[in-house]
Amino acid sequence: MSMPPPTGFNPLAGLVAAIFPGAGHLILGQPRRALFAAIGVMGLFFFGLLVGGIDAIDSNNDRIWFFGQALVGPSTFIVDRIHQSQFKAYDLDTGILRSGNPGERRIIDADRPVWEPLTYEEIEAGLGPPNIPGLGRLNEIAMLSIVLAGMLNLIIFLDALMPNPNHASSPKSGGNS
Amino acid sequence: MTTLAYTPFLDALAIHDHWYLLIVPMSIFLAIGYKSVRCSDMNRFFREVIIFTIQILGGLLLLAIAFTVVIVVLLPLLAPMPG
Repeated sequence: MSMPPPTGFNPLAGLVAAIFPGAGHLILGQPRRALFAAIGVMGLFFFGLLVGGIDAIDSNNDRIWFFGQALVGPSTFIVDRIHQSQFKAYDLDTGILRSGNPGERRIIDADRPVWEPLTYEEIEAGLGPPNIPGLGRLNEIAMLSIVLAGMLNLIIFLDALMPNPNHASSPKSGGNS
Repeated sequence: MTTLAYTPFLDALAIHDHWYLLIVPMSIFLAIGYKSVRCSDMNRFFREVIIFTIQILGGLLLLAIAFTVVIVVLLPLLAPMPG
């Protein structure tokens, strides 16, 4: 039975990798790996946002998905914060914070955002909510893409935290020297 | 705020009829990210990314064929619908 290859332990690389995808490999002196790791994770992240819009990250309505998406790092929390604070508002009847429906406008009323119903003329004039939420399968694919980015980033984070010595700084393995 | 114009990264794309094509760019990004840490020789990186992308898409295609056979052929044989 063969023994697994030995691994090192680099907490600084792990910490930096947790902040931004691929940055840990930059600390390890592997810029090519760092670049491709960042392209892979952030590519999936922005692809999900492109398909599903900002509604693809929602810590309120899609809590379980958000746990996987959070593995991408601070980017997910920043987008979620913007989504909750700039694109959602309170329902006047139920008091629930939610996304807007067609035929509603987001206004600030007594220091809190609320959804105001629009008149037919205002809808005809093109007024509406600040974003169009994703629905059905497309919304699921968008959320899945960002969850995949998070799971991929977990692999990359672990590789930076416990680097394979065989990958250390050689041009063949993506290193500098 | 207008609802008529599409704003990238804020609004959802209206491509409901072609959702299955989205798996291609997802597979490519996944392969790039995975092979960035699993490729031992970075000179072979792009070759391995292409092979891994084809493996993902091929696996999904086989799954799609298998589920189609189960739903379209096997299920009607096991539990025929009246009429």
